[in-house]
Amino acid sequence: MRHVETALRLLTALFRALVGVAFLALIAAVLIQVVGRTVGRSPVWTEEASRFALLYMAAIGAGLALRTGDLVGVDVFTELLPERLSWLLRLVSAGLVAGLCLYLLPMAWRFVEVGGFQTSPALGITMSAVHFSVFLMLALLGVFAALRAVAMLAGASDGRPEAVRPEPPR
Amino acid sequence: MTDVAVLLAVFAGGLVIGMPVAATLGLASLAYILFTGLNPVVIPQKMYAGLDVFVLLSIPGFILAGNLMNRGGITRRIVRFASAVVGWIRGGLGLTNISASMLFGGITGTAVADAASIGGVMIPGMTKAGYPADFSAAVTAASSTVGPIIPPSVPMIIVGSLAGISVGQMFVAGAVPGILMGLAMMVTCYVISRRRGFPRQEWQGWGEVARSVGSASWALAMTGLIIYGLLSGIATPTETAIVASVYALLVGGLVYRELPWRQVPSIVIDSAIASAGILALVGFANVFGWILVSERIPQAIASGVLSLTESRVLVILMINLLLLFVGMFMETIAALIILFVPLLQLATAVGVEPLHFATFAVLNLMIGLTTPPVGVCLFVCAGIARLPLAPVVRAILPFLATNILVLLAVSYVPALSTWLPSMLR
Repeated sequence: MRHVETALRLLTALFRALVGVAFLALIAAVLIQVVGRTVGRSPVWTEEASRFALLYMAAIGAGLALRTGDLVGVDVFTELLPERLSWLLRLVSAGLVAGLCLYLLPMAWRFVEVGGFQTSPALGITMSAVHFSVFLMLALLGVFAALRAVAMLAGASDGRPEAVRPEPPR
Repeated sequence: MTDVAVLLAVFAGGLVIGMPVAATLGLASLAYILFTGLNPVVIPQKMYAGLDVFVLLSIPGFILAGNLMNRGGITRRIVRFASAVVGWIRGGLGLTNISASMLFGGITGTAVADAASIGGVMIPGMTKAGYPADFSAAVTAASSTVGPIIPPSVPMIIVGSLAGISVGQMFVAGAVPGILMGLAMMVTCYVISRRRGFPRQEWQGWGEVARSVGSASWALAMTGLIIYGLLSGIATPTETAIVASVYALLVGGLVYRELPWRQVPSIVIDSAIASAGILALVGFANVFGWILVSERIPQAIASGVLSLTESRVLVILMINLLLLFVGMFMETIAALIILFVPLLQLATAVGVEPLHFATFAVLNLMIGLTTPPVGVCLFVCAGIARLPLAPVVRAILPFLATNILVLLAVSYVPALSTWLPSMLR
C-alpha cells in the first residue's frame, strides 16, 4: 500500500506549509499592530485578523498534531498490553477519532451556514469564512485519523505517533 | 444523573484505550448530547467559542520564542554563566544544572525542552566529572520542572484563561514559587553532594563571571522583555510573545550566529503544530466544560466534599492529592483543562483565591512530569544518560520530596504566590 504512504506524505507536506502560512499571517498582523501603535496609527483590522489567523492555524495544525503526537493521549495502559492487543486498541482509537470528526462535519457545516447572517465588524468578511475553521479542523483531524487507520491495516504504520526527532542540544 | 454517567464513562473509556485527550472529550460530549437529545450543532459552536479567546493568541508566540532561543545557542551560554557563579561550591555541577534550569525557565515555557537541552549538555558533563549518571539524570529531570513555573509559561496562560486572570498576574504569581523551588532543590543537591563527596570546580574568578554574564545577557534579557511588556501595559500578551519571537530570531541569528537560518521555517511550523495540538484540546474541552457546568458538576463536587469536611487545610490537601495522582498519568495541560474549573469552585468555597489556586495547581502538575509511570522529563533524562528508569527514579526521590515540600508551602502560604502580583497591581 504505497499509495497510502504517499498520500500521507503529500498531505503532511501541504498542510505543514499551510500551517506555517497561517502562523506567519498571525505574526504579521500582530507586528503591524505593534508598529502601527508606535507610530500612532494602528489599523483597526489587525486584532480581528490575528484572531482569525489563530483559528485557521489551529484548524490546519490539529490533523498534523495527531500525526506528530502533539495531540496527547494517555498511552500508559495500552503500552502495558501485549503488542497485538495494543495495536488493536490504537486502531479502534484512530477509527473513533475519524468517526467522531466525520460525524460532526454536517453539524459543523450548519454552523458555517449560521455564520452567513453576520459579517465581522472590522474586516467586513462573512462569519461563514471564520466559522469554516471549525469545519476544517474536524475534517483534517478526521482525514488524518482515517489515514492512520488505513495505514495500520495496510501494515505501513504501527499506529503510534511519528517519533518526533530529538533536537540536538546547542 | 445517568446523562453524566454516560459522559464520564465514555470519557474514561476513551482515555484508557489511548485516544487523544482532545478527541476523548469530544466523543464523551457527543455521547452525552445524543443521549440527552440536545442538538449536536452545539459542539462546533462551543468549540469555536472556546478557541476564539483573546488570551490563547499568545500561546504560539511564546512557544516559538522558546524554540528559537533553544536552537540559537543559549544553552551553552547559560550553563557557562551558571557554572561561573555556583560551580565552585561542593556539588557545583549539580547546582549549575539547577540554576541553568531556572534561567532557562525564564526563556522557554516547557519543561521537556529544558530537560532535553540542559540534559544534553549537563548529563555527559557531570558524568565525565565523576558524578554518578543516575544522580545527573535525576537532578536534570527534577530541575527542569521549574521552567513552566518561572514565567513565561504555557500552563499559566491556560489556567489564566480558565480562571479569568490576566496573563501578567499569572506569570508574576509563579515567580516566587519557581525561585523557591529552585533554591530548595539546590539545598538538597548540596546536602547530597557533601554526604557523597561529589566534586567541585575551581573558582574561575570574577572575570569569568563578568564574561559569561555578558555572553548570556542577550538571552536573559528576553525574560526582562517579556515581564516588562506584560506588566507595563505597553503591550498585550500576544504582542509581547510575538515581539519576543522576533527578538529570539535576531539574537540567535545575528548576535550568537548559531541559529541555522535554513531551519527557521521548520521551527515556525513545528511551533504552530504544537500550539494547534493545545488549541484543539482547548476547543473540545470547552464543549465538555460547558456540559459539566450546565449539569452543575463543579457545585456537586464542592458540596460533596464540603459535606465531608469544611476544613481548608484538608480540602487543599485533598485537591493536591488528586492532582498529584492525575499528574502521574496525564499530561499537564490536558489535566489542567479537565480539572481546573471543577476544582476551582471547591477551592474558592474554602476561601482560596483563584490566583493562589492556579499557581499551586500548576506547580503540583509539574511534579507529575518526574514521576513514573508517565513522567516525560524522567524519560528524556534517563534516555540521555542511557540508563533504565529504575535507578533514575531512586535518585530523584530526594528531589521529589523537596518539590512536594515546596508545593505544600505554596499551597498553605498564599502570600508566596499572591504577594508579588498584589505589589504590581
